[in-house]
Amino acid sequence: MTTLALRLRPARRFVVESPVAGPAITLVVVFVLFSLFVPNFLTWRSLSGIVNAATLTGVVTVGITLLMIAGEFDLSVGPMMAMGGYLYALNTVEGGNPALAVLLALLVPGLMGAVNGLIVTRTMVPSFITTLSTMFIFRGIVWLLSGGRMLQTIEKLLVYDVFNGRLAAIADAVKGANFRTAALWWIALVLLFQFILVRTKFGNHVFATGGSAGAAGATGVNVKRTKLMCFIISGLMSGFAGILLFSQFKTVKIASGAGVELLAIAAAVVGGASLAGGYGSIIGGFLGVLIISMLRTGVVLTNLIPADNFEAIVGVTIIAAVIFNNWIHRKA
Amino acid sequence: MSDNGHDTPVVYMENIVKRFGTITALDGVDFTVNQREVVGLLGDNGAGKSTLIKVLTGVHTPTSGQIYLGGEPVKIPSPREARALGIETCYQDLALVPLMSITRNFFLGRELMRNFGPLKLLDVQEMDTQARHALKDIGIHIRSPNEKVGKLSGGERQSIAIGRARHFGASLLILDEPTSALSVGETHKVLTYTLNAKERGLSVIFISHNVGHVYQVADRFTIIRHGQIVGNYTRDDVDEQDIADLITGEREK
Repeated sequence: MTTLALRLRPARRFVVESPVAGPAITLVVVFVLFSLFVPNFLTWRSLSGIVNAATLTGVVTVGITLLMIAGEFDLSVGPMMAMGGYLYALNTVEGGNPALAVLLALLVPGLMGAVNGLIVTRTMVPSFITTLSTMFIFRGIVWLLSGGRMLQTIEKLLVYDVFNGRLAAIADAVKGANFRTAALWWIALVLLFQFILVRTKFGNHVFATGGSAGAAGATGVNVKRTKLMCFIISGLMSGFAGILLFSQFKTVKIASGAGVELLAIAAAVVGGASLAGGYGSIIGGFLGVLIISMLRTGVVLTNLIPADNFEAIVGVTIIAAVIFNNWIHRKA
Repeated sequence: MSDNGHDTPVVYMENIVKRFGTITALDGVDFTVNQREVVGLLGDNGAGKSTLIKVLTGVHTPTSGQIYLGGEPVKIPSPREARALGIETCYQDLALVPLMSITRNFFLGRELMRNFGPLKLLDVQEMDTQARHALKDIGIHIRSPNEKVGKLSGGERQSIAIGRARHFGASLLILDEPTSALSVGETHKVLTYTLNAKERGLSVIFISHNVGHVYQVADRFTIIRHGQIVGNYTRDDVDEQDIADLITGEREK
């Protein structure tokens, strides 16, 4: 046991120590199984569909994963996403100012995240309860803003293409490949926040805060500020997901984003993040979202289970993935 | 601090009172730690040991009383400030983050950064090197600075906390129940590290329930009961049984 770490070859060591290893293996296994046994799965149309379907949840999952590593939850991401969607929609349609639209769609959900963070760090109400409450409150605020009305447009604006344009070059080169710019934004955010997590002081403090808030505080880490920042980032990611949502569907309604919070938490956990905090990775969360999206597509294509019943498969996956991730780490 | 001469105590806490609502946790406590001295702080559960230390490390603000460091009156508003003033604490379970590596724990809150264009990034390599050297310097050999602290034994964890204190130039090291969960061999190591730290110029407050462990390393014993100091004793004044009796109050001064 004591000298094990040195005897392990680098590859083996990566597998047992990196939070990315578990979800990476799961992803490959799911991909290979579906490719072998499910007709039409291994096509560019299916693969680009998997990525596109994953993108909105994926962007939210960036914030959720970060927050979970810091030891907190955010159940209020759905309404924050709807809020971002409305603010973006209201300020782009009919000759609005796209720059202002993007700014507001990030700023207001960011402030909502700050409200979550301040309640959690000042009142010590657990984040699960706090954000469960603000989920209802924020949904009410979205209702007030929108007057309860769904917002739609048929305008074709440049800004919609910036956030959800067709990647024509790929589509022309590969038949059936319908990748969107939204996926590029998602990947960029994943890489940015993974980098922040492992290479900056803030990232270090996120791990410490979630790993042991007491030890972090005793060594001078500002635990409350670190948590507050993570809540704000979760708000910003939700707002950005709202921007992508409206750019893609040209529709936003009160219920937009409902349920995304649980999918994002599921993805973070499948992606190797610890519910107890202190462990995980943004890349893992990214893989977690892809795994769930892949399951959805695979299950639909098999025709064995009605597509509407896909949640049952997600449930099985979460438990299986957590057991698998834990098993890998015990191997260390 | 050294230019204050050898007689100035590292820490002098004067008439410290701490109330939580109607409860008086500390009732006019005077507490001194001299230079290069290991002070054993002893008391039963709820006697006020932890509260006293939390006042000294900026976790609690005293209701009244004054703290002097090296003869200078100071206010210690936060743990961060305490650390900046050279007070390093190794809490029983709170010294280190188990899921983080040795290096990242070593530099937690004091990360080394390097400039990358306009960005400031963690200097991981430099931190690895320094952590390894600093620990080697006080006789602690680690297998890999990237190993998670959670995989280390209790004694190894304490040693890392002690090595960290020394590396960052602390003048006072507070060890909170450092041997409570350790095997005999591990305890011996931690006691040795404690004496090493003293030899290298640190003062140490050693908090423990285990009179036997404290007796092996402390130059002086301060006993606290019901929020008040029972007395200060040297090894010549008392034996282990005397100390135990004084803690429980079976015997008065």
